[in-house]
Amino acid sequence: MQVYLPIAEMSVDALLLLGIGFGVGWLSGLFGVGGGFLLTPLLMLIGIPSAVAVASGANQTLGASISGLVAQWRRGNVDWRMGLTLFAGGLLGSALGVQIFALLKRWGQVDVAVSLFYVVILGIVGALMVRESVSALLRRRRGAAPRRKLHEHTWLHGLPFKLRFRDSRLYISVIPPLAIGFGIGILSAIMGVGGGFMLVPAMIYILGMPTAIVIGTSLFQVVFVSANVTLLQAWQVGSVDIVLTMLLLAGGVAGAQFGAAMGTKLRGEETRALLGLLVLSVAFGLAWNLLQTPSRAFTLGPIS
Amino acid sequence: MMLLARALVLLGSLMAPALASAPPITAELSTDRVDISTGFTGASVLVFGATQSFLGVDPPEDLIVVATGPTQGVVVRRKINVLGIWLNGPSTRFPDVPGFYALTATRRVWEILPEEERRQYRLGFDNLRLRSEGNSNPAFRAALLELKQSGGRWHEYAAPVSRAGERLFSARIAFPATVQAGDYQIEVLLARENRVIARQELSLRVERVGTAADIASLARGQPLLYGVLCVVLAVLAGWLGSVLFRRN
Repeated sequence: MQVYLPIAEMSVDALLLLGIGFGVGWLSGLFGVGGGFLLTPLLMLIGIPSAVAVASGANQTLGASISGLVAQWRRGNVDWRMGLTLFAGGLLGSALGVQIFALLKRWGQVDVAVSLFYVVILGIVGALMVRESVSALLRRRRGAAPRRKLHEHTWLHGLPFKLRFRDSRLYISVIPPLAIGFGIGILSAIMGVGGGFMLVPAMIYILGMPTAIVIGTSLFQVVFVSANVTLLQAWQVGSVDIVLTMLLLAGGVAGAQFGAAMGTKLRGEETRALLGLLVLSVAFGLAWNLLQTPSRAFTLGPIS
Repeated sequence: MMLLARALVLLGSLMAPALASAPPITAELSTDRVDISTGFTGASVLVFGATQSFLGVDPPEDLIVVATGPTQGVVVRRKINVLGIWLNGPSTRFPDVPGFYALTATRRVWEILPEEERRQYRLGFDNLRLRSEGNSNPAFRAALLELKQSGGRWHEYAAPVSRAGERLFSARIAFPATVQAGDYQIEVLLARENRVIARQELSLRVERVGTAADIASLARGQPLLYGVLCVVLAVLAGWLGSVLFRRN
């Protein structure tokens, strides 16, 4: 069944979109991430213009993350103060990111820039995840469970403007969370992702937040930053396709439930290793596209 | 129903061949508007009509049908390899190219008309006036032709002009799913002995209708409101989904 996407100005098979939504939703439920990093490249692969893929991907991430946030909030796993600090940084970052995106669009380099961002970020994050989970697996096999400190004291803790984050059991400067929120805000605007897959490790390893609070708080940031990206992309670039978003969400919400049911049967380290491998394979796929000689030497675009 | 009425009018005009002022060709379109709705997958429009004199006689007469869409500005960019990565490199701007161009005829136009006639009526890709800015390398023009054709927005002789009997003719023009909204001109030319002896211009309107049109006009006219709506709808859909699929 073909459906016409009014902003992308093209017809796409609705079942294909529902299927992509379902598949990505299933994986995101399984791994507990938003799945935007899989969705945007897949949309570009089926021929959706990258500007529309990024903007609608952010819009889809918003819808897909909202139920998770509500569930975490009910369980009291959201550190509001930390969430708001991250979001303040994220607001500035995503505003800057949308401006960069509009500039790239004017230069005609959106496709390449988005792919490059994906390759670099997913490559780094994927490699770190695999390394971390494999060493955790090996440790468990050896049977020695090393006692870790709650968090290590580094130069980050010497920064000024300290604030007490009671739910995270932290007394740290607001500069690191602001900077993290800012950086991930830029990336979400350019890559069309919520940024959960980068935010979660950053909160655990850089800020030293307790794991129980991390998921809920990162969802808080993801929901508000993706709402901001959606708004700015629609307003300043004009590339959010609501029909596309709704089809993806319809498939995604259903898929996430199946994924989440299956995810409870997997162990933490194994899940992280699998997710890391998935992230790495997306990075390799995109890198291959950038390095391979293109089938057409020329591209056509509108004058903007 | 409308098609039938048009056919009757046309038939009526055929029934009165005695009129001295009868035009050499009479042509009509199967529809004067194409609606892009949410389920739009492309459309095909029939151009049909009749000639005053018999087509087969010597010297032979030929029919040419050419359809052009609203002009648009496009940029053609060449990919270049920088440190192993393929980037968009040098570019040429074509500020006014037809967004849609379809040509069909009873024979190839170069067999029917000499070059200056073809140029005047813009018949064939080679005779389109494509003003360019920037890099003047002819490869960019060639690439524009190739890319437009691969998207189905420009085509030549996709379906021939077919004749029925001695005076009736018809041709089909296919519009791809990616067709732009706007006003389209369809010219029907009658040629004999290396020149155009008659022409008729028809117009066709391609319009977005229904939900697709409303969404596109809202997104363009009030982008901020549209953005807010996108946020609200995504939140509602996500929330609704979690309620529907909640496992007990």
